[in-house]
Amino acid sequence: MVKIKMSPKLSVSEYIALTNQTLEYAYPTVEIEGEVAGFKINQGKYVFFDIKDAGASVGCFMMVYALRVPIEDGMKVIISASPKLTQWGKFSLTVRAIRPSGEGSLKKSFEILKAKLDSEGLFALDRKRLLPQSPQHIAVISSTQAAGYADFIKILNDRWGGVAVDVAHVQVQGASAPDQIIRAIKYFNEREVLPEVLVIIRGGGSADDLSAFNDELLVREIAGSRIPTLVGVGHEVDESLSDLVADKSAATPSNAAQIIVPDKYETIRSVQSSVRTLLPRMERIVSEQQTEVRALLRAILQTIDRQVDEKLAENQQSRTILAQLDPRRVLERGYALLRGDVTVGNEIQIETKQAIIKAEVRDVTSK
Amino acid sequence: MSQVNKTSQKTIQQKTIELHEIVAWFDSDEFTLEKAMDTFKKAEALAADIEHDLLSLKNDIQVIKQKFDTETSE
Repeated sequence: MVKIKMSPKLSVSEYIALTNQTLEYAYPTVEIEGEVAGFKINQGKYVFFDIKDAGASVGCFMMVYALRVPIEDGMKVIISASPKLTQWGKFSLTVRAIRPSGEGSLKKSFEILKAKLDSEGLFALDRKRLLPQSPQHIAVISSTQAAGYADFIKILNDRWGGVAVDVAHVQVQGASAPDQIIRAIKYFNEREVLPEVLVIIRGGGSADDLSAFNDELLVREIAGSRIPTLVGVGHEVDESLSDLVADKSAATPSNAAQIIVPDKYETIRSVQSSVRTLLPRMERIVSEQQTEVRALLRAILQTIDRQVDEKLAENQQSRTILAQLDPRRVLERGYALLRGDVTVGNEIQIETKQAIIKAEVRDVTSK
Repeated sequence: MSQVNKTSQKTIQQKTIELHEIVAWFDSDEFTLEKAMDTFKKAEALAADIEHDLLSLKNDIQVIKQKFDTETSE
């Protein structure tokens, strides 16, 4: 601690240290809103720019890792910073956090980061994983005091039961929100038993309120989650980069609950309906089997009829042939039937149509 | 709490799958009229069981104690 004497005689370094102590005591952190000018990044590590308004301008310095959203000249921003006098006697603001301010700057920053992440493929459809149909263990990241969280829990409880829900309470707006949400995502992803789905929700708000969900590191953390993610931020019309990178996006927190679990009343109706269809189905099967049995019986009877007809026809044909072979038919045509041993001197019998004649053989001549 | 019925130790999802399998059996080649009525009664009981589970099971919501406002571990 530098002691102030009545007539201090300080070295330059002591004076700068004293000034910085005074500044640190008086203004540990200040929030300043202004327009960015002369924005540049040196050696990929150090960020320099001026923040200005119509009447004044102050130089700013920050580390590139603290830059969580794209910044350009002309953008209106809010910085959280500590004032400092450098060893060269230049007054500067050491910026800890910077975020766009006002609709135009928010939108511009959003579009720049969206284009950057899109070019890296973070929003590609083939990266999206399917959410489990009826999860038994889900993780929720939200503010437990937020209306959106209450809506989510109400709809979840109305629709389904038996789900283990682990809730991480975090800030969902303001400068600290992205880091808190990132820590909660890491927490769930490092569990020995992973939840089946990670739900990040926040109700509606202004563009500035929702800007936490456009933080680059948060978007990348969601993209890298081992657990499938469902993000429901804001109202239907709101779109955040967290929504775009998530495996599934819900229009609202209530919609997130509708997506994550089925409706038990709809399930009960479906179950009852499938059982109700069984009785008519059984009746139909019985009826079909009756019809089939009747058809078989008819086929058997037709086969028997056909076989009887065939046998009758065969019999008739045999009778016709037999009739043609009947010796009486030969006698009718004038032939005679001879019986006995045709040897000279023997008596034989000759049968004609009209008579049976006894005769003696007088001569036999071979032909 | 999980979606497990204490008596049968089956989840609602497992019971629902079982019910779908029973319903499908009525259209399968394995269907026999002799077994149909018993199977139908089984489906009815299963449906009632699922309905009971769905209406009685509550969600178990736990707000975890871990704080996320600083870079600290559990």
